[in-house]
Amino acid sequence: MRQYPDRRAFKRDMPVQHPLPSSPSVFLRDWRAWLPVPEDASSFDDSRIIESDTPQAANVPAMLRRRLTPLGRAICEMLDMINAGKDNLPIIHASQHGDGHRPLDMLDTIAAGDALSPTRFSLSVHNAILGIYSIAAGHHASMAALAAGGEEFEGLLHETRGYFAEGIDEVAVVLSDSPLPERYRAQAVSATVPSAIVMRLSRHEGLPIVAEPDPTREQGATRITPRHLVDWLSGGEALHTRRPALRWTITSCAHATAADTAQRDTR
Amino acid sequence: MANTPLTPLEHELATLIIDTLELEDVTPSDIAPKAPLFGEGLGLDSIDALELGLALQKRYGIKLDNDAEDNREHFASLSSLAALVETRRVS
Repeated sequence: MRQYPDRRAFKRDMPVQHPLPSSPSVFLRDWRAWLPVPEDASSFDDSRIIESDTPQAANVPAMLRRRLTPLGRAICEMLDMINAGKDNLPIIHASQHGDGHRPLDMLDTIAAGDALSPTRFSLSVHNAILGIYSIAAGHHASMAALAAGGEEFEGLLHETRGYFAEGIDEVAVVLSDSPLPERYRAQAVSATVPSAIVMRLSRHEGLPIVAEPDPTREQGATRITPRHLVDWLSGGEALHTRRPALRWTITSCAHATAADTAQRDTR
Repeated sequence: MANTPLTPLEHELATLIIDTLELEDVTPSDIAPKAPLFGEGLGLDSIDALELGLALQKRYGIKLDNDAEDNREHFASLSSLAALVETRRVS
């Protein structure tokens, strides 16, 4: 019978702890967001934010790109913008409902007794967008897709710390949001337009992401969307998560914008 | 690229392929009747083959056995697909 290491020793060597202000363990190196805005709305005026509702994804070959929704195209485009493929970073994609209507529309097709589209079926899995990105970019690092019942941001940071604990230095994380078909909206808080944010996180370099215990806000925490993260990264208020009950801040946003711009200008 | 004109049925099938498989920036005249549809040529893949099989069933009532040996020949090119539809169509 196989001998497993002593569990207590394992626990002692690799303590599970939440990030504390004195020792930030996650740093932000770069980010991009896709927030399609209505024509009459004001622009974000930030080159890191893609506002077009038809992202090009020119980095994905046309024969693969045809299978991506605008959300999938935006994510593939932004992953290349932060060099996730070039630097072979592990990628974690969290979304509550995946890529829009596809899986739920298939249920209607089955209910009507019609044959399912093999293409739609193959794309209805939660990791479909990352799968296509992996083919397009020849990306062979670890990839994971999460659904966390509205706690996707927390899930992403947990996973990130897991990779860091394993000795990985940097990961790419994706948070996306997509509208549900109308008839499901009474059951869940749902977006009205799709959106996504991609962040390059490091365990050494970049802007420290700091989490402090925040038990008082346990009841007030809300589902964190890509838009919340953009506001947060643009110098907005701290984020509050419920499980674990933490208050998340990121320091020196103004400094980051300048540094990032300088870095891009030299490329 | 395509220099042989398409027959009406080939044109209809080319349109079916482009619409069903959501091909970007491809028109029926870009597909030569004898050019390979899969792998080389147009570059379709195995998921496209299943999707196309479903489309043929819906449009023409042709039921193909997934394991049939001759599927490869039927799906080789636009002209072989047209020959299949000519002989097997029920609608």
